[in-house]
Amino acid sequence: MLNKLMEMSQKREMRESRDEMVVGELVLAFAQLGMPAVRFAAGMGQQSVRFATPADPLLHSVAVTLDRKTGSGALSDSLVGSKAVITVVAEVKNYLADPDDLVNMWRTDFANIARLPMLGQVKLDHQLNSVLATKKLMIELNEFTRDPAAGRVQLNQLIASTLEEMRGHLAPYKKASPFEIDG
Amino acid sequence: MSDSEPSAPAPAPPQDPDEIFVGLLAESWKRYAEMLRATQTDDLLIGAVIASYVNQGWALIDLTSDGATHLVRFHYHGADTRLLVAIKSMSESLTAAKVIGRLADVTVGYGIRVQNFQAVWSAIKSEIKSSIIMSDEPGIITVDGDMTSGYVFAQVDLLLDLDTYVVGGLQVDYAKLGAHLSATVNALHKYLYGRLGN
Repeated sequence: MLNKLMEMSQKREMRESRDEMVVGELVLAFAQLGMPAVRFAAGMGQQSVRFATPADPLLHSVAVTLDRKTGSGALSDSLVGSKAVITVVAEVKNYLADPDDLVNMWRTDFANIARLPMLGQVKLDHQLNSVLATKKLMIELNEFTRDPAAGRVQLNQLIASTLEEMRGHLAPYKKASPFEIDG
Repeated sequence: MSDSEPSAPAPAPPQDPDEIFVGLLAESWKRYAEMLRATQTDDLLIGAVIASYVNQGWALIDLTSDGATHLVRFHYHGADTRLLVAIKSMSESLTAAKVIGRLADVTVGYGIRVQNFQAVWSAIKSEIKSSIIMSDEPGIITVDGDMTSGYVFAQVDLLLDLDTYVVGGLQVDYAKLGAHLSATVNALHKYLYGRLGN
């Protein structure tokens, strides 16, 4: 009887931990790309990790937030699965900026207000020294945790294609600089 | 003026003001990055711990972090064993990092699943005894039991200099980190198996 209870408890714990498992795979995937994690903020249901990009000539940092929406309970997991929203924010850093830059960039920012990143579009946001590209993706956590080996390949492809798309959007905004500082 | 008298130093060749400004800018960003790095070393290390264990087949099942205190737990499916690593940074500013180094309270825990109710209960009694220990000294092994999942943990507190594991700004010495964690886990494994009599 006690063993049965322990078994159930372990299953529940594993189901509740699927978002953490995917975050673990994300940290490994980014580390293998030469992008170490440099900032964590994690609590119940939402985890954010910021990665430095010392090997990337364009990007200064990439932040990934995983927000679990469904599947913590056995019923919701069996009915709708374990859905989560991954928000990827890639940053390009310009080391000299002035307020005129913001004025020049207002057109892009204005056009982006109406964009829904939920639909997989990339949204741009200009700050003084940074230009940020944001993309939101809805994922099924079970796809990455049921078969870890296959899930790892799928996750690597997802990260590579997302970063490539963001580089394409951000490249025009990177100003040439005689020096680079790692994020 | 005689030949033996020291002469005034020759004036430095005029430097391009743009070059001077770019130099100041580069130095400013370097210092800014250094200040940022002082708050990031603990995060860098916990990230390396995650990447290292996930790569070895462990699944991350718990992650709690507020930027200065981090806790991660791993589960190994094949063997029903668990690992716990908690890092509490003691130098979250450049000033503290320069004065005391990048020191951190690190707790390493190793847990095994036991089917024997008596063993779990004994661990829980030890947990009560462990909670009486009110010491921040390193090297004290405490025991913890979880009745619901049947895991018994042994954990130890260490006081580590995080710079030992960082090479350059953002490179982690995975070999050294892995060796130190493995040695600690090995000691806890021996202690736990000895205690449970398996």
